Amino acid sequence: MYVCLCKGVSDHTIRQAVDDGLSSMRELRQQYGVASQCGCCKQCAKEVLADALQQKQRRFAQESLIDTDVCYA
Amino acid sequence: MQIDKDVVTHLNRLLAFELTSIDQYMEHSRRYEDLGLNKLYERINHEVDDERGHADLLIRRILFLEGKPDMETRHELRLGKTVPQMIEGDLALERENAKTLREVISHCEKVKDFVTRDMLVGILKDTEEDHAYWLRKQLGLIEKLGLPLYLQSQL
Amino acid sequence: MLGNQQVLQQLNRVLTHKLTAINQYFLHARMYQNWGLQALNDRIYKASIHEMKYADDIIERILLLEGLPNLQELGKLLIGEAPAEMLALDAKLQRSDIDAIREAMAICEEQQDYVSRDMLNHILDGQEEHVDWLDTQLDLIEQMGVETYLQSKL
Repeated sequence: MYVCLCKGVSDHTIRQAVDDGLSSMRELRQQYGVASQCGCCKQCAKEVLADALQQKQRRFAQESLIDTDVCYA
Repeated sequence: MQIDKDVVTHLNRLLAFELTSIDQYMEHSRRYEDLGLNKLYERINHEVDDERGHADLLIRRILFLEGKPDMETRHELRLGKTVPQMIEGDLALERENAKTLREVISHCEKVKDFVTRDMLVGILKDTEEDHAYWLRKQLGLIEKLGLPLYLQSQL
Repeated sequence: MLGNQQVLQQLNRVLTHKLTAINQYFLHARMYQNWGLQALNDRIYKASIHEMKYADDIIERILLLEGLPNLQELGKLLIGEAPAEMLALDAKLQRSDIDAIREAMAICEEQQDYVSRDMLNHILDGQEEHVDWLDTQLDLIEQMGVETYLQSKL
C-alpha cells in the first residue's frame, strides 16, 4: 500500500528502509520525503514505521536465540 | 512543392519503419492464428491496417513534396517464436519508430514544415497511445496472470 | 440556522468519507485500466461516480439545513499496489464509511431529523451492496487464486 501519495512511498519501501537501518520519522522525511508535502500520511507512516521496527526487533531477538543454541550445541 | 530536401529523406526513414512493421505484424498475426490465439490475431492483424494507413500518409506526403518514396528499404525485423518474444519484438520496433518520429518532428519544426510535423504527431500519438501502450499492457498481464492463463484469455 | 448542529456535524463527517472514497475509487479504477483489467475499471469507476452522487445528496442537504458543507477536508487515501490489495483496501474504506453512516443515522434519529436519516439510509443501502460485492471478490480470489480471478476481469 502507498503510505505517502505525494512522494509515492509504499509500506514496502519503508520496511526495506528499516531493514537497512533507518529508525525515525525524521530520517524517513529526509531520505524519502514522507510527510513533507501535505502531511496526510504522518499518522499512517508512524504506524508502519513502529510496526516495522518492532518486527525487526523480534526477528533480531529470534536470530540471536538461534545463535545461542548453536553456541551451546 | 518542395520545402526542405532533408524532410523527404527523413520521411523515407519513417516509411521504412512502417513497411517493416507491416511485414513483422503480418508474420506475427498469422503465427498467432496458427497457434489458435484468435484474439491476438485479430488485434495484430488490425495493427497491420493501422501501419498501412501510416505508410499511405507518408507516401502521399513524399510525393507531394516531389520526392521519391523508397519502397525497398527495411529496418531489422524482430521476429519472435513464442508469444512473449513476439510482443517484446513488436514493442522494441514501436519504441524505435517513436524515437525516430520524435527526431523527425523536431527537424520539421526547425525547417518550418508544419503540415508534415502535424501529420507525424498524429502517427506518434497512435504509436505511443495505441500500439506501444497496448503491448506494454500485455506484458504486464503476462506477469500478473502467468503465461498459460494469459494465453487462455486470447483464444 | 435551520439544522441541528450535531446533525450538521455528522453530515459533514459522512461527506468527508464520501469525498475520500470518490478519489480512492477513481485512482484504483484507472490503475486497473492501466493494467488492462477493463472489467475492474468499469466496476470501480462506477462506484466512484456513485460516491460522487452520494456526496452531492449530502452537500445539498447540508445547504438546505443552512450549514456549510466542508469540501476541503479529505481522509487518508488507501491506495494499494496490486489488484487484490486494492480490493481489500476498498473494503476497509467502505467498512469505515458504513460505521460513520450508522453513527450519523443514530444521531439523526435522536435529533428527530428523519429526512436526513432517510437520505443516509439510502446511501447506506448502496454502501452495503458495494461492500458485499468487494467481499465476494476477495472470496473469489481466495478460492481460485488471484491469477485466475484477474483473468476473468480483463
